[in-house]
Amino acid sequence: MRIVRKDYVRNGPGSVKMVPVDSDDLWFAYNLIAPGDSVMAATVRKVLREAASGGRDAERIKLKLEITVEAVDYDKVGSVLRIRGKNILENEYVKMGAFHTLELELNRPFVLRKKVWDSLALDVLHQASDPGASADLAVILMQEGLAHIFLIGRSMTTTRSRIETSIPRKHGPAIAGYETALKKFFENVLQAFLKHVDFNVVRCAVIASPGFTKDQFHKHLLLEAERRQLRPIIENKSRIMLVHTSSGYKHSLREVLDAPNVMNMIKDTKAAQEVRALKDFFDMLSNDPARACYGPKHVEVAHDRMAVQTLLITDDLFRNADVEMRQKYVNLVNSVKDSGGTAHIFSSMHVSGEQLAQLTGIAAILRFPLPDLEDIEM
Amino acid sequence: MPRKVNYGLDYDDDYDDDNDYDDYDIDYDVEDNAFSVVTGNLHKPNQEATRSGIWRCSICTYDNDQSMTACDICGVLRNPLPSSGISNGNDLKTAPFKFDVPSPDDIVTNGLRSSKMGPKGTSSSYHEGGVEYTLPMDEIKPRSLAYSLDSASINDRGGYSNSYGTGKAASQGQYKPEKWMLHEAEDGLLSQLNLAIVGHVDSGKSTLSGRLLHLLGQISQKDMHKHEKEAKLQGKGSFAYAWALDESPEERERGITMTVAVAYFDTKRYRVVVLDSPGHKDFVPNMISGATQADAALLVIDASNGSFEAGMDGSKGQTKEHAQLIRSFGVDQLIVAVNKMDVVQYSKDRFDLIKQQLGTFLRSSGFRDSSVLWIPLSAMENQNLVTAPSDIRLLSWYKGPYLLDAIDSLQPPTRNVSKPLVMPICDVIKSPSMGQVSACGKLEAGALRSGVKVLVMPSGDVGTVRSLERDTRPCAIARAGDNVAVVLQGIDTSHVISGGVLCHPDFPITIAKHLELKVLVLDGASPILIGSQLEFHIHHAKEVARVEKMVSLFDPKTGKVMKKAPRCLLAKQSAVIEVVLQGPVCAEEFSSCKALGRVSLRALGRTLAVGIVTRVIEKEPIAFFKSKYFVFFSK
Repeated sequence: MRIVRKDYVRNGPGSVKMVPVDSDDLWFAYNLIAPGDSVMAATVRKVLREAASGGRDAERIKLKLEITVEAVDYDKVGSVLRIRGKNILENEYVKMGAFHTLELELNRPFVLRKKVWDSLALDVLHQASDPGASADLAVILMQEGLAHIFLIGRSMTTTRSRIETSIPRKHGPAIAGYETALKKFFENVLQAFLKHVDFNVVRCAVIASPGFTKDQFHKHLLLEAERRQLRPIIENKSRIMLVHTSSGYKHSLREVLDAPNVMNMIKDTKAAQEVRALKDFFDMLSNDPARACYGPKHVEVAHDRMAVQTLLITDDLFRNADVEMRQKYVNLVNSVKDSGGTAHIFSSMHVSGEQLAQLTGIAAILRFPLPDLEDIEM
Repeated sequence: MPRKVNYGLDYDDDYDDDNDYDDYDIDYDVEDNAFSVVTGNLHKPNQEATRSGIWRCSICTYDNDQSMTACDICGVLRNPLPSSGISNGNDLKTAPFKFDVPSPDDIVTNGLRSSKMGPKGTSSSYHEGGVEYTLPMDEIKPRSLAYSLDSASINDRGGYSNSYGTGKAASQGQYKPEKWMLHEAEDGLLSQLNLAIVGHVDSGKSTLSGRLLHLLGQISQKDMHKHEKEAKLQGKGSFAYAWALDESPEERERGITMTVAVAYFDTKRYRVVVLDSPGHKDFVPNMISGATQADAALLVIDASNGSFEAGMDGSKGQTKEHAQLIRSFGVDQLIVAVNKMDVVQYSKDRFDLIKQQLGTFLRSSGFRDSSVLWIPLSAMENQNLVTAPSDIRLLSWYKGPYLLDAIDSLQPPTRNVSKPLVMPICDVIKSPSMGQVSACGKLEAGALRSGVKVLVMPSGDVGTVRSLERDTRPCAIARAGDNVAVVLQGIDTSHVISGGVLCHPDFPITIAKHLELKVLVLDGASPILIGSQLEFHIHHAKEVARVEKMVSLFDPKTGKVMKKAPRCLLAKQSAVIEVVLQGPVCAEEFSSCKALGRVSLRALGRTLAVGIVTRVIEKEPIAFFKSKYFVFFSK
């Protein structure tokens, strides 16, 4: 995200003009823009005009509109951010108070005006403008008969492709069937790989699977690349890594991020940090269950007793909450930070964020055990 | 031949069946008195008014006009004279009547219905494959009662699809197996025993199985020579015997077993089906798939120094995990084969150490001491396998049975031959050239014969059994406990999947996504929280599951509820939880069908919990799948 102009007071009103550069930035914008703010951007509007002859003419006019935000919608599949709201800028084409839906596009600047720039929003802004540390990993997670291709970005993980076939087992005469089915499966995965993985964008590609499927596929990949002279693969041979996981299902993605050789590549990125924090939480839960808790009520109680060491929270909670709730969570995060603890805000588009969301979206590792949390209703 | 409606080119049989059921619905509404059928009043000409005005000849399937009494084309009489007595549709069809075509003839439908909806034992309608088959009519009384009960259940039927569903609850008790199913111990057939061979990786499972097969003559000398030569060529001379079971190039190259290999051999008492499982940690899902079929298990231990300890390691070794898994599958008879005794010079001390350490663990897992046998042996040197040991070192202190004797001393398990057919599908082999598909698996209940119609779940399609194969040899009848390959025809090959179940068309099993389980969390497992995503294994099916709710913790010994709505499940706790699966699976409550009620939950390469299905919370309607099937080009 490129910040063009900043003009705000901390915890006060202000405006920022910025330009989203990649789809990750749209995700940041989604986290920043909340109902009640106002957004100004160039957009296209269909306007009915009376021509001189009396006929009505529908014309698409490019104009700059400013609207107060009523609803924000992020389209994961198409990577589009839609903002719906009422017009507040004097305009010859559009009446004041008329509804309009803005679509934020890449490389087009927009101005966001907020009433309160709280610490969280500033954090997001800071992260968005940080040019370095983009995880950008392409992962092929597979097992026999099932393969997923994920693209792990800075703040989100998108599933690019999912391939599922049924491969017969190998018993005596049926072995031939197994080989052909497996070859066809690998071919499909290879096609998807070529289509979705662009080595100019991703840093490296990881092939992960239980058993030996990854080795088989890797061999097949290299052979086919040689045979068909697929330049992108041949040139980037060294950037393909193999990692062992326990299954080919989506939740095994965290094992990929945990693997040492992958960790080296992405250790300073958000995704890796999130995975580590969640792993710590699970470890604590198995070793000493009284020192870990989850659920808004429990975490609140723990916080009241100043027991929270590490707070794990998804950005989902901030986005969906009304102003009051959001304020409460912001305060929670700030006070945890002030008292010397750490707060991790998980992107709900990452695998670890999804996992945390399954556990109610908020969890904490405590400084000292609180056994009586068990008795409190969740 | 003109057909009434054309839905698809290949699915004639299925379609006709559906038509059959539709007819019953109409008839039932018109005729209220169930008992009138029983009293022998078969002829109901007025019912024909509800028909559409044509009837289909049972032989040439030509649609004849109502007024004709014999088929236009082939001349077969429409209503052959009924023989004495009771409304068994069977008697009416002395001309070979293929029940796979509908008979709009209402005498026949009446007769069919009473016999079909009554105790299944007397009905042979869909089991005929053109073979005449009559049964003694000695079950009038129970039938009438059963019939009224069944009528009640039939009433619920909306469309034909539901006819598969609701008939079950009432008629489960009325399923009477047919004579050919119960015919046992005939002409010297040995009873079958499914033996799963499990153990830590590299303990010598495949080698042991290969050795046994060779010694018992199942593998010819020529084949053995071939394996030996090839193995030496690849530098894996010691794996020569294992290659008898590991047939794929991948397995041979890496020297491991990846999927369960099935082989057969005979002992004095049993026909043993050997299920050689992989020991590698990554292939435990495959091992689960194989071990669900087991009646007894052979746990192979590597006696050499260090290997046993590695196997017993909680997180990295498979010995414990395998033992717990097979116990959870209901196997209570175990033979522990302590292999590679030659490496430790047949030392008694080593054997006793292993026996003591592993013994305590097995006891804590639930194996009774009396049902565990300990056999020291060496597969490589052929000691103590099929004959008493010849090595003096072993002879000096070991006086127990050799391996084959031990297998013979196992108790045969009880077989549910008298329950309706249930056969979980382990493997599917398609032969597109012949347009048929074969489903391999072990029959858990009931029996099969060629010509019988089976219902394939979860798709809900009905297919006919063309032939049965056991150990690549065709066989006539397969009963509960037999491990066979069923060649099916008349069914879409993509509907038969591994993880599905073959069942009786009138007794379908439930498909569900939302289940309630009673589980025991194994020790060493990471905690399970609400929302945890786990891999759910049930018979041969696997799915991703999410823990939806944790209902209660209870004490396994007393069964009392200790705590309601726990926060998380830790190791060694027993709890009742609800899971929601990503895709539907065929599952049954454990109390009604054991084979379809056992589950295991895994994550991160370890088995976290094993348990049973206590309740199916939300059933998926079969009609859902059927509707997909009827839409053109949906697949």
